[in-house]
Amino acid sequence: MQNRTEKYILTGVIITSIAVFSYWFFHNPVKYLSANVPGLDHRPLKDGSADTLVVIGEKFKEYSTFTSALTGKWPRFRGADMDNINKEKIKLIDNWGKYGPKILWKVELGEGHAAPVIYNGKVYILDYDERKKNDALRCFSLETGAEIWRRWYSVSLKRNHGMSRTVPAMTDKYIVTIGPKCHVMCCNPQNGDFLWGIDLVKKYKVEVPLWYTGQCPLIDNDTAIIAPGGSSLMIGIDCATGKVAWETPNPDNWQMSHSSIVTMKFGGKKMYVYCAVGGMVGVSAEGSNRGKILWKSDKFRPSVVAPSPVILDNGKIFMTAGYGAGGTLIQLVKEGNAFSVKILQMYKPNDGVASEQQTPILYNNFLFTIQPKDGGTTRNQLVCCKPNDLKNILWTSSKTDRYGLGPYIIADGKFFILNDEGTLTIAKASTSKFIFLDKAKIIDGQDAWGPLAIADGKLLMRDSKQMVCIDVKAK
Amino acid sequence: MEDKKKYNRRDFINSSFRVGIALGLTGIGVALTRRAIAGKSVWQLDPSKCVQCGRCATSCVLETSAVKCTHVYDMCGYCDLCGGYLRPDTKDLNTAAENQLCPTSAIVRKFVEEPFFEYQIIEELCIGCGKCVKGCGAFGNGSLQLQINHKLCVNCNQCAIARACPADAFSRVSASEAYLFKGFVKGKK
Repeated sequence: MQNRTEKYILTGVIITSIAVFSYWFFHNPVKYLSANVPGLDHRPLKDGSADTLVVIGEKFKEYSTFTSALTGKWPRFRGADMDNINKEKIKLIDNWGKYGPKILWKVELGEGHAAPVIYNGKVYILDYDERKKNDALRCFSLETGAEIWRRWYSVSLKRNHGMSRTVPAMTDKYIVTIGPKCHVMCCNPQNGDFLWGIDLVKKYKVEVPLWYTGQCPLIDNDTAIIAPGGSSLMIGIDCATGKVAWETPNPDNWQMSHSSIVTMKFGGKKMYVYCAVGGMVGVSAEGSNRGKILWKSDKFRPSVVAPSPVILDNGKIFMTAGYGAGGTLIQLVKEGNAFSVKILQMYKPNDGVASEQQTPILYNNFLFTIQPKDGGTTRNQLVCCKPNDLKNILWTSSKTDRYGLGPYIIADGKFFILNDEGTLTIAKASTSKFIFLDKAKIIDGQDAWGPLAIADGKLLMRDSKQMVCIDVKAK
Repeated sequence: MEDKKKYNRRDFINSSFRVGIALGLTGIGVALTRRAIAGKSVWQLDPSKCVQCGRCATSCVLETSAVKCTHVYDMCGYCDLCGGYLRPDTKDLNTAAENQLCPTSAIVRKFVEEPFFEYQIIEELCIGCGKCVKGCGAFGNGSLQLQINHKLCVNCNQCAIARACPADAFSRVSASEAYLFKGFVKGKK
C-alpha cells in the first residue's frame, strides 16, 4: 500500500516536471516584443543619382556695369581675421536717430541663411534661386544694390529650414563658394569667369550635412581649404588650376559639419583647425607636411556642429555646439615636434557659455556669445566671460534682451546684434557690463540667422528671404 | 397682552426642525449644483507652463498616467534630426533603440520624403514622462505637447498630478474645450 502511494506521488512529480519543463521550453515570453533596429522608418538608401547632371558654373549673365571708389573689405566668413570684428577706422552710429535706420537697398533672395562678402564696393553672395532651381553666385553694387552679374548652375533642392547657408571666401583673384549640396566653385571675382568646380559628393563620397552645407570655404595663400569629410578629412586646392594640392586622410570617417576651418599658429607651426562631426583636428598648414594631421581629439563630438573654433591665446581653443552639447576648452601641448590635446573644461550648456549657431567673439581678452535655447536662465542672452574660465559668466544682457539664433558683430567698439525676427540692436562693446544703446526693427521677417557683414560704413544683413543694406556711418 | 402667544419649547422645536430641513435641502441643492458644475469641467495642463519635470508619469492615480504626449502636426518641422525622437548625442539618425529618447518607444518615425519624417505617438505606450516634449521644445518647434487624455482621465476632485506639479500648470477647464494646445491648433484633438 505504501509502495503504491509512493509510485503515485513519483508519477505525479514526473508528470508535473515534464509539464513544467515543456511550458518553460515552449513558452516564449517575448513573442509580443519587437526589436527597435535601424530601418524601421523605411528610409530608402541614398544613391546620389539625382545630381548626376550638375555642371558647376555652367551659366553666366551680366546685368550692369560697375564703378566704385569704395575700398572696404569683408572678404570671408567672420571677416579677414576670422574674428568677426570690423577694424576699419570709420565712425559708426550709436543710435538709429530720429528717422530710424537708413536702408539703402533691399534685394529678394532664395530662402536661406547664406551671407555676403564685401570687396571694393561689390557684394557677393551664393544664393539659391528657388524658382529656377539653381545655385547662383550673385554680384551686387554695395552702393546701389544693382545686380552686376551672376553665375549659376542647376541643382535640385527641397526646402529644409532654408537652403543656402554659406559665405564665400575671396581675394583679388579668386572667389570660392560651396553650395548647399557640396558643390565647390571658383570664379574670377572681377568678371565672374568660371575657373573650376568640384563636386565633393562625387569626388570624396561626402554625406551632405543635415539642412545642407554650412561650412564656409577658406582661401589661404591662393589655396582653397575645404573639409569634405568622406574619403578625405581636409583638402587644399590650388585656386589657379583647380588641382588638389594635398589631401588629409580620414581614417575615422569623420563627417562634414556646419563648422568652418580657422587658422591658428602654435609652437611655431601654422595649422588649420576644424571641428568635424566626429571630433576636432589640427592639420599642418605649411611646409613639406601640409595636410598632415598634427593633433586630433574625439572628446568633444556633437552630432550637429555649427559654430567654428575660437582660437584663444597660448594654444587654447574654445569649441561649442548646440543641441545639448555645451562647450569645451582645450589646450594644445607641444613636446618636440608632436602635438597633443589636453581638455581643460567640458560642460553642458547650462553650466557655462555656449552657442548653437553663431561663433562666439573674442574681444579685448573677453569672450562674448549668445547662449543657446538650452542655456538655462541665461538662454538667448548675450553673455561675457574670461576665456580661461568658460563656466563663469561675468554678466548677461538681461532677461529683457534675448536674441535667439541671430548673428552679431563688433565694429567701432559696438555690438550690432540681430535677433531672429529682424530687430537690430546696437550695444556698446563693453567688457564690464551690457550697455544697450538702441534698437530698431529693420525687416519684418523670420529666421534672420545669416552672418552680418560691414565695410565702408555699410552693414549687410538678411532674414530668410531678403538682404538689406543699412548705412551705419556716423555723420 | 394676555393673547400674545408665548414662544414655548414646542414652537422652538418646530422652528428648529423647519430650519434644519431648509438648511439640509439648501445644502443638497448646493452640493448637486456644484457637482453639476464640476461635471462640466475637467482637468487639463497648460503646455506653456509645463516644465517637463516627469511627475505626470508618476503622480497620476491610474496605473499608467492619463497624461500623454500629443503631436500638434501643424507645428512640426518633420525633421530628420528630431529632438523629440532622438537622444541628443545620437550619431546615426535611425530607428535603433539606442538612439531613441522615449523610454517606451512610444514614438514611431516614418519616412515621408528626403529629408522629412513623420512622428506618431502610440498612446498605449506613452507614460507621459515628457522627455520627448523637452527635447522637441529645446531643439525644435515644440510640436510635442503633454495633455491629459480625457478618454482615460477619471477626473478626480483633486487631481493628484496637479498637487505634485511644480509649475502650477494644471487647472480646471471647460469640458467643451478640454485641450490646451499651444501653436496653430486650438481646442481640438
